[in-house]
Amino acid sequence: MTDRDLASTQPGKFWVCPECDLLMNRRAMPNRHEAHCPRCQSLIISSKRHSIEWTLALAVAGLILFFPANLFPILTLTTLGLSQSETIFMSVTALYDSHLYAVSALVLMSAIVVPLMKLLLMTYLSGCLLFHKSAPLLSWAMRSYQQLDSWGMLEIYMLGILVSIVKLVDVADVTPGIGLYSLAGLIVVTLLTSTQLDRHRFWRRIEQLERR
Amino acid sequence: MQHSALTRGIIICHRCEKPASINQDGQPCPRCGTHLHRRKRHSVAYTWALLLASMIMLIPANLLPIMTFKALGKGDPATIMQGVLQLLEHDMLGIALVVLTASIIIPVMKVVGLIILLLTVQLGWTTNMRQKMLMYHFVEWIGRWSMLDIFVVAILAAIVQLGSLASVTGNTGATAFAAAVIFTMLAANCFDTRLIWDKHLEQLEVFP
Repeated sequence: MTDRDLASTQPGKFWVCPECDLLMNRRAMPNRHEAHCPRCQSLIISSKRHSIEWTLALAVAGLILFFPANLFPILTLTTLGLSQSETIFMSVTALYDSHLYAVSALVLMSAIVVPLMKLLLMTYLSGCLLFHKSAPLLSWAMRSYQQLDSWGMLEIYMLGILVSIVKLVDVADVTPGIGLYSLAGLIVVTLLTSTQLDRHRFWRRIEQLERR
Repeated sequence: MQHSALTRGIIICHRCEKPASINQDGQPCPRCGTHLHRRKRHSVAYTWALLLASMIMLIPANLLPIMTFKALGKGDPATIMQGVLQLLEHDMLGIALVVLTASIIIPVMKVVGLIILLLTVQLGWTTNMRQKMLMYHFVEWIGRWSMLDIFVVAILAAIVQLGSLASVTGNTGATAFAAAVIFTMLAANCFDTRLIWDKHLEQLEVFP
């Protein structure tokens, strides 16, 4: 038997760097450690302590914050006795009214639908994994979460709000609303969810549950 | 000695990174169901196509106006660059730099970065591999931040609706700009960094 045949009969004994395809022997990975590829130095594994508990808690907190962030005004503009408030959804409808249908759909997806989907998927997934419940669509949920990850753009929306405030500050009075504070909280929670998510642990747990 | 997993008969799932035998090439991953492939399929061709599309879209994105700010019935449609210059006129240097970086410098850097990476693969350059990986991760991470200008137009159009006193509307340039950003994000996703290292290993085998 050649080396090649030996390796390919037992693929589970190895780690493979997803960025440069370097083959490594599998090793035990203690909590709170990171493994970098010795060749390309990409982060291969970052194991977290209580990853499932943390992501569940953060995703639930995110769901709670999602509603005030979307229902309450983010900014209120006042000038000469006139005032106008803004929510995320109103920025979608404003683009729609400017006949920019594709852009308004894009803002709807990246600032409302994708962030909500990510929170719902993560609540369902980490809830099932935490209580060892074998449920339908677990691997679909994890796959969808990973695919949606970079298309949620709340932190960029936040930077957009800051730029808008600076642009308007000479023209009129701009006051932040409850929506803005909730949105800030939501962004912190979403970012923490991504950093606390140990995707290897999640995939291993999904595999165990689906095998039963 | 460094081995690439492929030459040892191992491939990994693009989505969940589970290693599998090369005999499972083309079959669904046993863990997550994604189809297994040795490398991302048609990576170079797809990346070039999406990159060209975004380069084409960047032209109308910069030439067409992206929004109109009307105060007391006066005001003309402004392009991205005019928006930056208006900020400069109002002595808002910091914010002008943020907008300039997000809307003009980053898209151009992304396009240049991806062209360098594609040429690396196609011409088999094997120098500064780690820097190229860093460059790829940077291009991949920074891509989304170009959406800034689109969100600014969306927010201003929603909040500055004071009838004849002041109003903001979006213009067609925004569609072109959004398309350019989406195409570069997709192009970065289609690129397979392992292709850079495959050349490196081929040359190691020929000239050990």
